[in-house]
Amino acid sequence: MLSRVAERVYWMARYLERVENTARLINVHTALLMDLPRQKEINWYTLIKIFNCEQDYHQQYERIDEKNIMRFLVSEMDNHSSLVQALFQARENIRTLLDVLPEEVWEQINELHLMVKASLSAVGNRRRRQNMLLQIMERCQCISGIIDNHMSRNYAYDFIQIGKYIERADMTSRILEMTSLLASDSASEQVTKHQGILWANLLKAISAQQMYLHEKRTSITANKVLDFLITDKALPRSLCFALANIGSYLNVLPEPEDSLLIQQQILENLNAYRPANIPADQTHFFMDSFQMRLMELHQKISSRWFYPDFEKI
Amino acid sequence: MKQAWNDYNPGNFYDELMYAQHQPHPFSYKLMQYLQSMKKEVFARRIKESELEMRERGITFTVYSDAGNIDRAWPFDIIPRMIPKSEWDRTEMGLKQRMNALNQFIQDIYNEGQIIKDGIIPEEVVLQSKGYRPVCKGITPIHGVWANICGSDLVRDDKGVMYVLEDNLRVPSGVSYMLENRKTTKRVLPEIFKLHNIRPVGDYPAHLARMLTSLRPDIADPAIVLLSPGIHNSAYFEHAFLAQQAGLILLEGADLIVGKDDFVYMKTIHGLKRVDVIYRRIDDDFIDPEVFRKDSMLGVPGIMRSWKLGKVAIANAPGCGVADDKVLYAYVPAMIRYYLDEEPLLPNVPTMLCRNEDDLAYVLEHLAELVIKPANESGGYGMLVGPHASAEQIEAFREILLADPDNYVAQPTLKLSVTPTCSEEEGIAPRHVDLRPFILSGNETYVTPGGLTRVALVKGSLVVNSSQGGGSKDTWIVDEIINEGEF
Repeated sequence: MLSRVAERVYWMARYLERVENTARLINVHTALLMDLPRQKEINWYTLIKIFNCEQDYHQQYERIDEKNIMRFLVSEMDNHSSLVQALFQARENIRTLLDVLPEEVWEQINELHLMVKASLSAVGNRRRRQNMLLQIMERCQCISGIIDNHMSRNYAYDFIQIGKYIERADMTSRILEMTSLLASDSASEQVTKHQGILWANLLKAISAQQMYLHEKRTSITANKVLDFLITDKALPRSLCFALANIGSYLNVLPEPEDSLLIQQQILENLNAYRPANIPADQTHFFMDSFQMRLMELHQKISSRWFYPDFEKI
Repeated sequence: MKQAWNDYNPGNFYDELMYAQHQPHPFSYKLMQYLQSMKKEVFARRIKESELEMRERGITFTVYSDAGNIDRAWPFDIIPRMIPKSEWDRTEMGLKQRMNALNQFIQDIYNEGQIIKDGIIPEEVVLQSKGYRPVCKGITPIHGVWANICGSDLVRDDKGVMYVLEDNLRVPSGVSYMLENRKTTKRVLPEIFKLHNIRPVGDYPAHLARMLTSLRPDIADPAIVLLSPGIHNSAYFEHAFLAQQAGLILLEGADLIVGKDDFVYMKTIHGLKRVDVIYRRIDDDFIDPEVFRKDSMLGVPGIMRSWKLGKVAIANAPGCGVADDKVLYAYVPAMIRYYLDEEPLLPNVPTMLCRNEDDLAYVLEHLAELVIKPANESGGYGMLVGPHASAEQIEAFREILLADPDNYVAQPTLKLSVTPTCSEEEGIAPRHVDLRPFILSGNETYVTPGGLTRVALVKGSLVVNSSQGGGSKDTWIVDEIINEGEF
């Protein structure tokens, strides 16, 4: 497989995963804010912090309010981490991959693109926005389903899976990081009072609430949620699951040793995680370093398969 | 809708579907009956469906002037254009004959130059062609074929005679739209396939793959790639589509490298892999910065060296554009007689060469009646359509023509045929069409049944180019004997 194709399927998968996760996160966050009394710590701006784009936001907007933040995160083409930008990037990648992907993927991404284009004006309206985001999630799931059921298990598929799990792990860790920051010592009484809702909300944002309840058969507590989302071996949204899968897809690629080494280290770190050892409010340090290592893994993959030094070969 | 059809009048033009007002051809009778019986609302809904279909399938083309917007929905008109099979069979033979002569000509002028020595074509006419590449001298591609993929433009006059208007030998495009138009007709008007036996077009990609494979008979399973200039090219959708349908590897110049052993390699996750056949969709000028344009970022340095050594096959062969020239066009009937000792089955449009004094004098006197074309432009650019030009435009063109007469040819303004077409302002109205069939030449020759019909959507306009407001139609080659059975 062409190195360039490997790179493009990898990024296509990352962007598609990003679109779906962003849509879900925004909807869940909207629902959370409806549950919480109006107060300072948790608000629309929390989303900007999760995406690490405070600076970009302030360059474009003065006012911090729902309308601006939604426009910035959903419909702003000038924001490189907005949903429409991720969707645009996914589509541009797919455009160059018609010979690699099942053909319905191109049709689906076009339908999604047309749907989003037609309904962007809904961003300011909460009800219509929620519907739009739900539809976006459905389309993304449809595309994943097509890839899963129609695509040969070839190298392109491997890179798609690697991209998907790296993006998912990154997003999950960001949401975990933010939740533990909110729940930290500095939190006000108001937030402390709503701890339960906060952690339940986290599960929803990662699409793991149902599985949590099914597996744990117990109430939602910070430590259990963290343990579940970080170390669970069976939950496809957990960090351990993502890293283990990245490992198995790396394993079949040519000369994966250097990348596997990093993946193994990250996975060992995750496996060693015990919520009791690290208080929930300290989790963000753990997540910070996790994100750094994930970036390192991405760079290794990129230099090994996307941009190796062909002049030397 | 009934009303719209009753008003339909092709006037003095030959009509592809109508013999006369209110009178379809025998072969189009059933289709016309069906369309005319459709309720106006139903018909309008089918049009809407076809537009949505094209957008959702992402069938787009790019217009260079449209900065930033690389998606334009492909303009498709749902009323098919029909050609009876008996006529098409003759046309197909004519196209094969023409391609055969053209390929022999290209082979000849890069090698013995016999046609020049025998005084059939003046040497300077060959040398003036922008597509002439001295670097190709002495080369014989496999099967002696240079133009493996050709998209000729055919037009009819008011008598219904089909002429070859030009031979697009460089990197002709449009075949993916021919395939997508058929797919769309099947989706939005499925019932009408009961009415006629229509020759299928869907196996073009398989023929393309077979032809490309035939360029390397020495290799059992050659690695075949499609070399595209990238997503900003107007035909990128077609490149991706053909790669997908024919099982080719879609790539760009930066994915290829010529090794020290002069073989061409592609950059893969397993390191460098050899490439055996390149279906290139890049003009000669950009294909190898070592040989042609130094500033080309699209090509592959060293690829010409590899091709000349026979280490990679390139389709179309570099230099084949020499015959895609409006001056040389005038000599194609002579080529057919010279190489094949046959009479041309498909006529050329009568063409005057402004390099001849007598012709030039006539042309200068009749500018307002003629179509004047530069030798080496495509897409309808740089030409004068006399009857449609203002006095100022004609005078301005006179200057251009006099400055470089050798570079121009003139043809009578053909009264191009028309066919019923949906128009926003007039309902169903006659619009001018041409036809671009595609011819594949490898170890054997294949002609698409029909081709891409392009239609000038503006009333009275003769410009069918999609970059200038043209649309397209599904094209049917049909049996004249109507099949009465259902299926």
